[in-house]
Amino acid sequence: MTAPSGPAPAGAPAVRCRSLGVSFGAVRALHGVSLELAPGRIHALVGQNGAGKTTLAKVLGGLQVPDTGDVHIAGKEIPPGDVSAAKAAGLAMVHQHFSLPPSFTVAEALELTAARPGGRAVYRRGDLQQRWRDDVAEIGGTAALSTRIRDLPVEARQSLEIVRALATEASVLLLDEPTALLTPVATDALFERLRHLRDSGVTVLVVLHKLREVAAVADTVSVLRDGELVLGPAEMSEVSQGRLSDAIVGPADHADDEVGVRAIAHDQETLLELAGVSSGESAFEPGLSGVDLRVEAGEIVGVAGVEGNGQRSLVSVIAGLSPLSEGSIHIDGDEMTAAAPARRRMRGLRLVPFDRNTEGVSQSAPLWLNQSALRLIGREGLETLYPPRRGWVHSVHSPGSSDRGPRQMARLLNDWWQRRSPLISLRQYKWQATQAMDRWRVRYDNVTQPAESLSGGNIQRLILSRELDSGLEALVAAQPTRGLDFAATEFVRRSLRGLRDAGAGVLLISSDLDELFELSDRLLVMYGGQIVARFDGPYDRRAVGDAMTGAVR
Amino acid sequence: MTSGLRRAASTVVLVVVSFLITALILRVSGYSVGDVLSGIIQGAITATGASTSSIRWAIPLLLIALGVVIGFRAGFFNIGGQGQFYMGACSALAISLGWREGPAGLVILCGTLAAMLAGVLWSLFPGWLRVRFGTDEVLTTLMMSFIGALVLQYLTAGPMRNPQGTGQTAASERIPEAFRLTGGSGVSLTVLLLVAGVTVLVWLVLERTRFGLTMTLVGRNATMARWQGINVRRVGLGAFALSGALAGLAGAVELYGPAARLVTGFSPEVGFTAVVVALVGLLNVWGTVVAAIFFGGLQAAILFLPIVTDLPPPALVLLHGMVAFLVTIKFRAVRRRRAAQAEAQAG
Repeated sequence: MTAPSGPAPAGAPAVRCRSLGVSFGAVRALHGVSLELAPGRIHALVGQNGAGKTTLAKVLGGLQVPDTGDVHIAGKEIPPGDVSAAKAAGLAMVHQHFSLPPSFTVAEALELTAARPGGRAVYRRGDLQQRWRDDVAEIGGTAALSTRIRDLPVEARQSLEIVRALATEASVLLLDEPTALLTPVATDALFERLRHLRDSGVTVLVVLHKLREVAAVADTVSVLRDGELVLGPAEMSEVSQGRLSDAIVGPADHADDEVGVRAIAHDQETLLELAGVSSGESAFEPGLSGVDLRVEAGEIVGVAGVEGNGQRSLVSVIAGLSPLSEGSIHIDGDEMTAAAPARRRMRGLRLVPFDRNTEGVSQSAPLWLNQSALRLIGREGLETLYPPRRGWVHSVHSPGSSDRGPRQMARLLNDWWQRRSPLISLRQYKWQATQAMDRWRVRYDNVTQPAESLSGGNIQRLILSRELDSGLEALVAAQPTRGLDFAATEFVRRSLRGLRDAGAGVLLISSDLDELFELSDRLLVMYGGQIVARFDGPYDRRAVGDAMTGAVR
Repeated sequence: MTSGLRRAASTVVLVVVSFLITALILRVSGYSVGDVLSGIIQGAITATGASTSSIRWAIPLLLIALGVVIGFRAGFFNIGGQGQFYMGACSALAISLGWREGPAGLVILCGTLAAMLAGVLWSLFPGWLRVRFGTDEVLTTLMMSFIGALVLQYLTAGPMRNPQGTGQTAASERIPEAFRLTGGSGVSLTVLLLVAGVTVLVWLVLERTRFGLTMTLVGRNATMARWQGINVRRVGLGAFALSGALAGLAGAVELYGPAARLVTGFSPEVGFTAVVVALVGLLNVWGTVVAAIFFGGLQAAILFLPIVTDLPPPALVLLHGMVAFLVTIKFRAVRRRRAAQAEAQAG
């Protein structure tokens, strides 16, 4: 990397691209995108999942060769797909995915990849940590500089990517969804830092998901929809919120409004209860200490907290994936402190895990198998949840056409075989999966396509269709809307409310305070593995924020 | 299904390419490719008893390869079929020699069950190491194979050695003729029905039972399976056990079929060739059947060729190696491409 070239000459746009087009096979990721970004401002780029934001960012950064069009940075034309030319022209990029070497310590990774002037060929770890301490602290990173990258949670890795890009002193900074994994506090800190950079002459292009964030930080906004630039770059002061969301969503599509929640039957009022639960600490999180919480039927209990304060431990203890050292857990009135995960599931515990792509679905497995996963854990408990053949025979064969004689015999025999045989009917599995996915508005072509072919929002719908569709009593939803676009986020929130109204108990873990305030009937705040505060609505943002930083003990 | 066809076609292409490369090497070494090719066809199909011999070799390959397929389904690479096969054969032999007077049917049944049990134990140990400590099962199953081969050597040279034996290699006594399911050809209706039944059973377990689907989920993403409440360790152990049972069964079939006695280091490559068979069969039951018959034919040809050409037997083992090599490369490349695609799509 060469020395930064400083602010672009006045008049020339910092970034200019003309009629960019990119296709992946039959999919048109970008089409005729022309964009000019004035220097020294913060430009926001928004759009739904799959609108082409990341592709555009990659083309600008030289990581993706466009089929048509050209890119100029600070007045210089960048040869298509030339990363180093883009860097030399003063562009630095923060990726949505992580690119720091996993086996390096934080300080080593920053030193190696940021190429800040003043480094030496031979180093001592202590010196390096000294060099980078302030940068990490500034972004609100809590990671020790001697930690290895692979031991860090995703949130911390994300903030390090930003530290690295900020340190390169580029004239154009390109951030691809930098806030997707950040806490509100860290997001504010990041925005402050971006404003500071802008004031010193740097041009910032930031891909964002939330309108609130766009309004908070951007000077201009551009909207991509289906690979085309439909708005902008427009001054924020001249664009109304309504026009912006119309541009993003496009012609109204309200087919998604309905949510497939079914009424819930439960035996007890308290569906999930933790009493004095403590657990050992995990690789990057404090263990729980003395956690008491109850989730009653018909309420959403929110759990706020800066990530890494024990939320993962909490969820995995409830799920039965990691052991607890003290305390007890009851699910729907039954003691489940030491029960296997499968028993908890059968008792009505449902989970929306933190990371939908690795914990929530199996990427390469077909949709129907992902959808049917809960049916595999046991014969007894789930048989009542998925009646072996109700609906199937009656819908596949014509209902009631001839109910007497040999046909009835055949049906009874078939019934008996379905219940008794160790063999399963794939047709019935697929049929049931189709039904559930349709109820939850999953968009797919074929039940046999792999889960990885779905977009993030659709994968979350798939997970909901599995977890919420049958036998649910208590749901633990961990970051259920993280990284989702507007429409999908709204869908998930509607689903959670629908569940609550149908009588389920929901424990909602989120780092999005707005979401928590909007949905929670009660709010708990976690800090350092403990529940340090409990709130009832209406919530005081300030008080909750203080509790999240541990100011209230 | 079209993608399945495409994968099958590309595997056929790989096999053809392996043939071409082997032919080239033979040519350069001064052999007549035409003679060798006609020798292969004679040895595998047309010569007297050749097709029987092909089937005879396909049987153990198929049984062990099905075990490999099962292991793969759950995400494990059990390449120790050879040792499990030997241990199965030894157990069946011990039962059969120890209870010579017993009713044939019962002895065969007990011997077969003992063989499967021995296979299970021989693969369950590396399996347990894997699920308990995360030890790489490729290494441990391979090591267990060597131990198995040495156990066989010890038994045939020591406690089970035929005192009247005159051959140069150590061998056991023969089991009573009544216990044999086939003649020396190694093929009979009983054995064919048995193998066909086992194949169908394996297919049913893999594709039409909860356990099979569970294995698929665990093999593709164990983290997700854990979150779904699946006991990943138990499923893994189950897969290892089934895998070993099939290799053990192959050992019993070998003993009660063509072998009748055990010789130090008999069928030395069958366990390893079976891994190639499973890969060429695209880790799919029916594909594996086809691949097993193909490699059975090749094995028969390898034994036949020295009779009609001056080709030394190892020359055709080259072909095996070439197929294994190319198939492995393709297997890795496909995985890597898939990973890259997934990343691109996520972006």
